[in-house]
Amino acid sequence: MTADSVQPARKRSIQTENSGFRRLINRIGADNLSLLLALAVLIFLITVASGWVGLDGGDKFFTWQNLMNSVAQAVVIVGLLAIGETVVIVAGGLDISVGSIASIGSVMSASVLVGAGMFTTITFLPAGSVVIAVGMGIVVGMMAGIVNGLIVTVLRVNPIIATLGTLAAFAGLAFLLAPDGKPVGVVTQPEFTWLAQGRLFQDLPIPDLNGSKWTGVPFLTVILIFVTVIFHVLMAFTDFGRAIYAIGGNETAARLAGINLNRVRVLMYMLSGGVAGLAGVLLTARTTSGNPINGVGLELQAITAVFLGGAATAGGKGTIIGTFLAVIVVGVLNNGMNLLGFNTFVQRVALGLLLIGAVAVSQWRQAREEKARARAMARQA
Amino acid sequence: MVYTAASPASGRAEKISTLEISHISKAFPNIQALDDVSLDIRPGEVLAFMGENGAGKSTLLKILNGDYQPDKGTILLNGVPISFPNPSAAHRAGIRVIYQEPEIIPWVSVPENIYVGELPTRFGFVNRQQLNAAVQNSLAEYGFEQVLPIHLLGYQLSSAQRQLVEIMRALKSGVRVLALDEPTSSLTDEEVERLFTLVRKLRDDGVAIIYVSHRLNEIRRLCDRVAILRDGKLITVQPVSELPQSQIVSLMVGRELSDVFQRRDANTGRRVLEVQGLHSTWHRDIHFYINAGEIVGFSGLVGAGRTELAKVIFGADRKTAGRVLLEGQVVNIRRPDEAIAMGIGFAPEDRKREGLILIRSVLENASIAVLRQLTRLHFIQRQREYDLVSGYVQKLHVATPSVEQIVGKLSGGNQQKVVLSRWLAVNPRVLILDEPTRGIDVGAKAEIYSLLDELAGQGIAIMLISSELPEILGLSDRIYVMQNGRITGELTRAAASEEKVLALAMTDNLSTVSDSSLR
Repeated sequence: MTADSVQPARKRSIQTENSGFRRLINRIGADNLSLLLALAVLIFLITVASGWVGLDGGDKFFTWQNLMNSVAQAVVIVGLLAIGETVVIVAGGLDISVGSIASIGSVMSASVLVGAGMFTTITFLPAGSVVIAVGMGIVVGMMAGIVNGLIVTVLRVNPIIATLGTLAAFAGLAFLLAPDGKPVGVVTQPEFTWLAQGRLFQDLPIPDLNGSKWTGVPFLTVILIFVTVIFHVLMAFTDFGRAIYAIGGNETAARLAGINLNRVRVLMYMLSGGVAGLAGVLLTARTTSGNPINGVGLELQAITAVFLGGAATAGGKGTIIGTFLAVIVVGVLNNGMNLLGFNTFVQRVALGLLLIGAVAVSQWRQAREEKARARAMARQA
Repeated sequence: MVYTAASPASGRAEKISTLEISHISKAFPNIQALDDVSLDIRPGEVLAFMGENGAGKSTLLKILNGDYQPDKGTILLNGVPISFPNPSAAHRAGIRVIYQEPEIIPWVSVPENIYVGELPTRFGFVNRQQLNAAVQNSLAEYGFEQVLPIHLLGYQLSSAQRQLVEIMRALKSGVRVLALDEPTSSLTDEEVERLFTLVRKLRDDGVAIIYVSHRLNEIRRLCDRVAILRDGKLITVQPVSELPQSQIVSLMVGRELSDVFQRRDANTGRRVLEVQGLHSTWHRDIHFYINAGEIVGFSGLVGAGRTELAKVIFGADRKTAGRVLLEGQVVNIRRPDEAIAMGIGFAPEDRKREGLILIRSVLENASIAVLRQLTRLHFIQRQREYDLVSGYVQKLHVATPSVEQIVGKLSGGNQQKVVLSRWLAVNPRVLILDEPTRGIDVGAKAEIYSLLDELAGQGIAIMLISSELPEILGLSDRIYVMQNGRITGELTRAAASEEKVLALAMTDNLSTVSDSSLR
């Protein structure tokens, strides 16, 4: 009963704590703040500190050419996959198959676009329509996601095993979809490849940066930002988002509070698959071919970004904004290492270590929070 | 190590010892689990521990086993004070507590399970021949070689066999005091007989045996003395022959009811919930009903099937037969969300594991069951949600700095109020509450009691599951008593007493019908 009687005093002290600077931090979120900090440190290392140890190339970082093409554009594909993956991981699941779904989306969109393979005979899908090609890429990704969802819910297969299986199966399917297993070229479709090469806001009067002219914003980046906003809204403001957080936080409690676990799970895998399909479409546009190996290995970078963005391995925690910031951190890291002349193998080692580091930090934080909670409970008792 | 076939007699022909518990007290947050308990446990006798759920039996066993340390008091072995910082220290002193589900390693054989940690080796390899022969011999000595085939692996063992493995572990290291915690609750009649034979043999060999059970007829057949605990205090220790059955029950309860909440007389209306002939994995032929504005208590021992009954009605578990009627209409509830849509709320027994999403806020936890109604095109209308939850937070006096507070940081009583807020927001016709005051301080309990009274006054049909008899008796308009997956009795408010409820919950009045098919 003592807890009730001290309530007014406690309330006041928390209100004062919330004022000013603290409120700002709360608004941004401690997780996101540390990501911004990490980004600043990383940029400092690339542009300034690299010179101290005799590496050059860091001065190229702050050029429009580099920022727009090598960072903003390069992060888009992994960024999309990571955004979809965030939903799944927050709900306590995992989707390893996103790279393979992207491959399917890539082959599908190219085939529909140029009427290759089995689509030479399907007349209700007219070749040459960008909208239909993009749409089919997304739809096939959603269908693949539904398959994942049904395996996890109806067959009750552990999500890691289920999507590890479909990672292999969908990768094979991508080859089967492509005529003779060969890439489908789309060079002849400028309207489609504009998706990747297009630039918006080229005419804005923005000054040169370190001697590099303003290039406009890549259309790809605009797509990523658009999808990020949609998913942020979905996760933060809808009942679906709440259900995702609830399931990840405590599956049993969520079910007993009336959440239809199976429906939410199938939906979330469908969303993750749909976004992966879209990523595949954009891969086709960027590489000018619907290639069944387009998506290989992308899942690792996507999952890394999600955990780096503050998601908990146990589920229930993580935000779209956090993942978005983490995607930029990973992009800047890759870009910096390129500029400074590290080869791709070093980059892979760094990425692997980053995934482990991000999860280790998140586990350490979780343990610390639990200890604090236990202490608080002990004090109350 | 000394490697002998397990035989308590051979190891201890010397003076057999008495274990003396002297002025032991143990407190937990909000509860005095043991209060100045003194008791001696003599070699060559079987001593029964009896008491309601929460009387302190388990705590006492855990102190003997070295799981807990007493706050006050000493344990003396042959007059010498000893203490057990951990279970292995207790085992070394020859004291063993056999819990209902002993630790068994699933993928190794029975002999290896028995000798775990001290396997006989030769050149660094396990000497299986010697091991198997020794275990076979000692099993044969007690007539268990048929019951516990030594080639079985841990995961293949039944509950009875697991307990036997644990008992053999105790015997091989020379046990002096053996405590059995409700050993027969999952055994068939035949297995019970075998266990009794073993217990009697050990007793004759000079082992002191503590036997915890709720089954009065077992106590009568097996035990020499009975120790009765109530609210952490030792009420009496007497020879079984001097205590008639009815007196045991009244000694176990015997509480003043005056300080417990008394519900005002209820106006009950139409029949809201009715269950007819319900069967499930746990239940047999359950019939009951709850009227509007009625609080109906469900009493029974732990494991009687009350929680499971709530879950079956709520659609979280399946029924195999029978009908559930809501307002006279037969309904088929397959999932919790369907139950909620029909106006049934369920606050589970284990708040942290089943009730709340501890890492999310008060707001999210309280609104989750009605969230769909607070959305437009799936967008949550935050102001409406905030207003709704704030209303219940104030009404129920939830002590929280704000509705954004993480639920895991609140105290047990406030967490329970958040769960109740969730179900009140649903505006339910039927509210199922499973142990709504467990682990909650006295003040919050009183608040919850008067809230339930008020809710019933508004016409909600309340199904109250509780293991605390005063709570059941003080709040319920009617009481159903369950035992072993059945309803064994229905008592009106006027007719109910602790003695009657306990008698219905404990007496083996179904023993003529074989219950083994239920398991």
